[in-house]
Amino acid sequence: MSFLFGGRPQPSSAEKIAAAETEVEMVSDMFNRLVQSCTKKCIPTDYREGDLNKGESVCLDRCVSKFFEVNVKVSEKMQGEAAGRAGGMGMGM
Amino acid sequence: MYSKLVQRCFDDCVNDFTTKSLHSKEEGCVMRCVDKYLKGSERLGQRFQEQNAAMMQGQMPGR
Repeated sequence: MSFLFGGRPQPSSAEKIAAAETEVEMVSDMFNRLVQSCTKKCIPTDYREGDLNKGESVCLDRCVSKFFEVNVKVSEKMQGEAAGRAGGMGMGM
Repeated sequence: MYSKLVQRCFDDCVNDFTTKSLHSKEEGCVMRCVDKYLKGSERLGQRFQEQNAAMMQGQMPGR
């Protein structure tokens, strides 16, 4: 019944798949970076034991939280700047 | 991921090139390094999923 409401063109399934693929790629790239950063920051390199100890575990948990927070902050700031540029258009790009 | 793990554990554990093969200390270090890294990335994966889910929920409430 969507034709009744002026039918916004539905994305084709190929487009949907492409968008989903991009998304998965972005998320897995982010995860790889997170693993790289957080293990580097939280796990000392002397490897005295094969298990994570309490401190390392807590550090990893917090690292994930902060990584997400930084992610949000950066994206907000970049969006703000993009909006600022769009608002100031015509004033010498 | 595999090659990254090799690089990480090699860099952290092997620094002595006076012998040709790994000595037992280096080998032990590599084993613990792999163990710890796998456990760490498992934990990070869990937290990542939780955070990601929370973020998605915040983006589109009620869905």
